[in-house]
Amino acid sequence: MDISLFTNPKEPQFSYTFFCPNNNGDHVALDMHSKNNQQLPQHSHTSTSRSSAESAGGVAAEHTADPYGDAAGDKWASNLLKECARAISDKDSSKIHHLLWMLNELASPYGDCNQKLASYFLQALFCKATESGQRCYKTLTAVTEKNHSFDSARKLILQFQEVSPWTTFGHVASNGAILEALEGETKLHIIDISNTLCTQWPTLLEALATRNDETPHLKLTVVVTETLVRSVMKEIGQRMAKFARLMGVPFEFNAISGLNHIAELTKETLGVKDDEAVAVNCIGAMRRVAIDERELVIQMFHSLGPKIVTIVEEEADFTSSKYDFVWCFEECLRFYTLYFEMLQESFPMTSNERLTLERECSRNIVRVLACEEDENYEEECERRERGRQWSEKFMANNFSPSGFSDDVVDDVKALLKRYKAGWALVTLPQQQGADNNSTNNDNHHENAGIYLTWKEEPVVWASAWKP
Amino acid sequence: MLEKMAEETISIPNGFVQNPVGGSNPSVAKKKRNLPGTPDPEAEVIALSPKTLMATNRFLCEICGKGFQRDQNLQLHRRGHNLPWKLKQRTSKEARKRVYVCPEKTCVHHHPSRALGDLTGIKKHFCRKHGEKKWKCEKCSKRYAVQSDWKAHSKTCGTKEYKCDCGTIFSRRDSFITHRAFCDALAEETARVTAASNMNNLAHSGLNYHLMGTPLGPTMAQHFSSIFKPISSSDEILDQTRRGLSRWMGQGSQAHETIGNTLQEIHQLGSVNSVPLYEGPLVSCSNPPPSDYQLNWVFGDKLSSANVEALSSTSLLLSDVKEAGTPLVSVPSLYSSQHYHQATSASMSATALLQKAAQIGVTSTDSSFLGSLGLKCSNNQVQDGDKYCGLYGSNSNTIGNALGSDVENSGSDITTLNQLQMYPAKHRHLQSDDSSGGQTRDFLGVGVQAISCHPSSFNGWI
Repeated sequence: MDISLFTNPKEPQFSYTFFCPNNNGDHVALDMHSKNNQQLPQHSHTSTSRSSAESAGGVAAEHTADPYGDAAGDKWASNLLKECARAISDKDSSKIHHLLWMLNELASPYGDCNQKLASYFLQALFCKATESGQRCYKTLTAVTEKNHSFDSARKLILQFQEVSPWTTFGHVASNGAILEALEGETKLHIIDISNTLCTQWPTLLEALATRNDETPHLKLTVVVTETLVRSVMKEIGQRMAKFARLMGVPFEFNAISGLNHIAELTKETLGVKDDEAVAVNCIGAMRRVAIDERELVIQMFHSLGPKIVTIVEEEADFTSSKYDFVWCFEECLRFYTLYFEMLQESFPMTSNERLTLERECSRNIVRVLACEEDENYEEECERRERGRQWSEKFMANNFSPSGFSDDVVDDVKALLKRYKAGWALVTLPQQQGADNNSTNNDNHHENAGIYLTWKEEPVVWASAWKP
Repeated sequence: MLEKMAEETISIPNGFVQNPVGGSNPSVAKKKRNLPGTPDPEAEVIALSPKTLMATNRFLCEICGKGFQRDQNLQLHRRGHNLPWKLKQRTSKEARKRVYVCPEKTCVHHHPSRALGDLTGIKKHFCRKHGEKKWKCEKCSKRYAVQSDWKAHSKTCGTKEYKCDCGTIFSRRDSFITHRAFCDALAEETARVTAASNMNNLAHSGLNYHLMGTPLGPTMAQHFSSIFKPISSSDEILDQTRRGLSRWMGQGSQAHETIGNTLQEIHQLGSVNSVPLYEGPLVSCSNPPPSDYQLNWVFGDKLSSANVEALSSTSLLLSDVKEAGTPLVSVPSLYSSQHYHQATSASMSATALLQKAAQIGVTSTDSSFLGSLGLKCSNNQVQDGDKYCGLYGSNSNTIGNALGSDVENSGSDITTLNQLQMYPAKHRHLQSDDSSGGQTRDFLGVGVQAISCHPSSFNGWI
């Protein structure tokens, strides 16, 4: 199949009508069917169009026809995609072609959720079928890097945090746990292994400045594991330092980057001094560690002698299914469906930030599904694991769970209230996962973290651990 | 009406004539409201036990035994009993004004001289400061001990708006804070100290420094003292065990030869990317600073340890940006001997602190200023040779001399001040933009001018 077929997807056969405000604030019916969409992704929503005879208030995407004729019309993308994945796994060539063609007809990165999922997963499936995953991934990464800057990254992450608690949930929980664990200490050293562009820390700095009578000294060492983030760390460090000055918190900042083997970090390389109270904060970075190095990383945490280790990860399992393509695919689809729906509902209709986030997902999807893991290729993997799985690893490596105090839980709940409806905090009761361990871990599972749920589905897991 | 609870009454010795007491005379002139905690000397001081204080129905009707929270309510109730005229009158005893002390021994208001005049007031005070916080705000999970406080907060919670210097308005505090940390408006504010010229001016101007921060509330004083502890010796400085100051002082090995160099290198912007911020010269400021920069820095010095103990915090010297081309510094908010003693009490409330700070004006035209924080050192101590008052020790009271004399001596001990420490304006700073007319000021008073003239300046700089 010609790859060019997929770089310029044909428009879907149906007309999808979107109503969005133009600059004057009028509601204009835009037709996604227009051919102008392809060339100008940024302006897809403002291209000229025929106005639709239908006018419904608000924003709505409406199917006018559903050729797949599925009973669960909403799930056409999911069904098609799964079928295709199975076909690939079975190596049923003609079926593969047929389904890929069909998906291509229906998919669009600018459509509704179904269309978007179809589009991005189609890309991954195609790469898998043609074994061009690495190349595709590199291309996608290069394109993103070209447009990447401090301003764009900042805008993106701040906007995302404004509309969705996906990331701030973990920040608030971790900050609360860290503050409580380091209460009374005068020299704090936080090792931040994450790619959050330090957006977690302003509120912590403010809390340090206002809560305590004696403001402690804070040293922040950031370990960056994403290429895109590396380039902006200098600017971020400067901003953090300035802000810390503003808050009146004695502050020191270090950024360590380029290490994709965080298991190799040591006290020396991180600059940990003996008189410091250490906290390790790891947000969304454990999943980027090669699977067989994960326990090593946990042991490395232990060697730093921290008072607390906070871990936040997304609740999905792409690891157990590493060797089973269909299983992995389905899990991936499940997770990203939730994510895309969440993005759809949280951001305004025409949001460049959302588009950027979706594209980031598409890279990750290609990475997980279509790239073979090999040791030479050191780029970050994205094999997520569920909270329960991480918990087991931690407990097996001399850590015990430190629950979140009531105050912290209250803070997180208050945070969730500030967002749109649909979000909740859940503490799962004792899990059956404990039955594999001979030690008595039943009680521990109760406290092994809190979950952020979106429409009752757990999506993010936050936990705190003590050595 | 009888108060059936046990009380002790202490009379305050008579001083002088005071305002007529309200009591039963309805046409009394409107009473002047005293500052909280400064009661009438002739008032009767009542000390209630915590149990009594918190009891809800102190006032009992002698006819039917019904209890009321307030005397006024009881009086209203009594009218309903149609009492003969005689019994309607209050006893003369009640005509005396009463003030109440807080039962908590460690509290400031425990002493009769700081009693509060209102029963409800003392009840609320006791609850707020010494009570359990039972009421919690749903929206932000903030806790309150007094129900009326909680109600008042709930009304305004979430309605407050925060405005960033860049003009964006936020309804959520956390997103405001995060935004502010990354906002470009913040990035433009830098302060510089220019070394030599500043030093020279200081030396020659013979400025008097008076203590700026005397009226520090207890937490603030502690805060300051924690950040700005004087350094007793080079070793301590190097030790880096001291917070705050250690940042300034440490790393003697990196101290520069001359103060001049040092000061020039003092810079707000730390270097990043695996270079610890305190090492060596710093990344230079990218933009020429606006003229109203204020800068804190602290001079380290070797001081005899004995002297240092007397000091609880260092004063900060603020000098103005050299680039502005203005003559040197400014000495507002300084350090003067008469304030030393006051500094020790640290008993002023935050409000008083702000008021005081507001009085301390910015002397230089470009609103730079010096600030010093709660110093405990007294006059004579300053006079001692290596006395450290946050500045180079000197043999005279004036910092100017102090600086001058020690510039030559202790150049080697001055470490690069890599960063400037701002006074944590904290809430005040963050919210200063949304208070019209500047009800909240940063306590150095800089904000007063700075807010109006230079909205982008750091209000919290000391």
